[in-house]
Amino acid sequence: MSEKTPPEHALAELIVESLNLEDVSADAIDPEAPLFGGELGLDSIDALEIALAVSRRYGFQLRSDNPDNQHIFSSLRALSAHIEKHRVQ
Amino acid sequence: MSERWWQRPEGGGRVGLWLIFTLARCCGRPLTRLILYPVTLYFYVRRGQERRAARVLLARLGHRSGTWAAMAHMHRYASTLLDRVFFLAHGARGFDIDAQGIDMLQEVFARGRGVLLVGAHMGSFEVLRTLALNAPDAPPLRIVLAKQQTPVMTRLLASLAPQVSADIIDASGDPVSVVLALSESLQQGHQVALLGDRGHPGESMRPVPFCGRPAPFPVGPWTLAGALGVPVVLCQGLYLGGNRYRVVFELFADRVELPRKQRGPALDALMTRYAARLEYFARQAPCNWFNFYDFWDEDADDGAGDGGRGL
Repeated sequence: MSEKTPPEHALAELIVESLNLEDVSADAIDPEAPLFGGELGLDSIDALEIALAVSRRYGFQLRSDNPDNQHIFSSLRALSAHIEKHRVQ
Repeated sequence: MSERWWQRPEGGGRVGLWLIFTLARCCGRPLTRLILYPVTLYFYVRRGQERRAARVLLARLGHRSGTWAAMAHMHRYASTLLDRVFFLAHGARGFDIDAQGIDMLQEVFARGRGVLLVGAHMGSFEVLRTLALNAPDAPPLRIVLAKQQTPVMTRLLASLAPQVSADIIDASGDPVSVVLALSESLQQGHQVALLGDRGHPGESMRPVPFCGRPAPFPVGPWTLAGALGVPVVLCQGLYLGGNRYRVVFELFADRVELPRKQRGPALDALMTRYAARLEYFARQAPCNWFNFYDFWDEDADDGAGDGGRGL
């Protein structure tokens, strides 16, 4: 598993907290592993919960009309990179 | 093993559907309805799987399930498909609609929190759309549908009402974008309608009792309602024959609570209640249940339709 950057670690903690993932610690999330369908077993409703939590924490909306959504939600790393580019707080 | 619903081809063919569509536009409803008799006979003979499914369902609803009953069932289905043309072109004009629950719907609109309308493949969705859009103070309505399932019909109907087509959220798109689109509409106080009785390939399902046996229902509508905290209204648009419809809107939950630790039992309780309401209406109008496939998933040999937590 590759090392997480600090923003990635903060995001992993936000995900664990907002989804109440009791059996998963933020440290155990591989930044390059698929968020959905993989070991974490998240589904599209979890994606929605993550999107809601991201907009509260980072102050910007993940939008449905973004053609890159599939890529953005593909891994912790991709999501974090997108957030760091667009965050306003 | 019989095919699941999404594996069945669209019926009728391009030319046939176009012909009926054109006839409906030129000759009006009474005359075009005559053509439904040969159409019903054609489908009864050609679509063995649908024919068998119709008979199983009718029997489980305690209805007659012989040849005539199954044909009457398919005729009802064909009638509601034809009526989509008239609802889209002229709204409720010319129909006799007994509408229940419009006042409740208005109250829900007034709260401004958005509303999730959950229907089923039972009766006519078009009559529901017509009423939900024309209710006083109705906010915009977006509908979640898999456009790929009936491409010819989708194109024909879109030519009648381009705006309605634009308001569809295509469920066959990327799942994350689909849920985000739903959420954006609801947050603006809009109505979002979806059908809660069929799961898409790979969607997470749970079995709950329906007509005396466990049947797999999708969990998506309920987890979505839980995540967004919006009111859920059930809606049925039953076709009663002739030009008569009965539309029922009922408040199902002001807010769906799904505590993480109790998620499974909470989902089971909600979905059992939903399936019981569907069964209630299906028994009132047995020929309105339009899931012409092995709905209980009884001859699945690979667990299809019972998938895990897929996207």
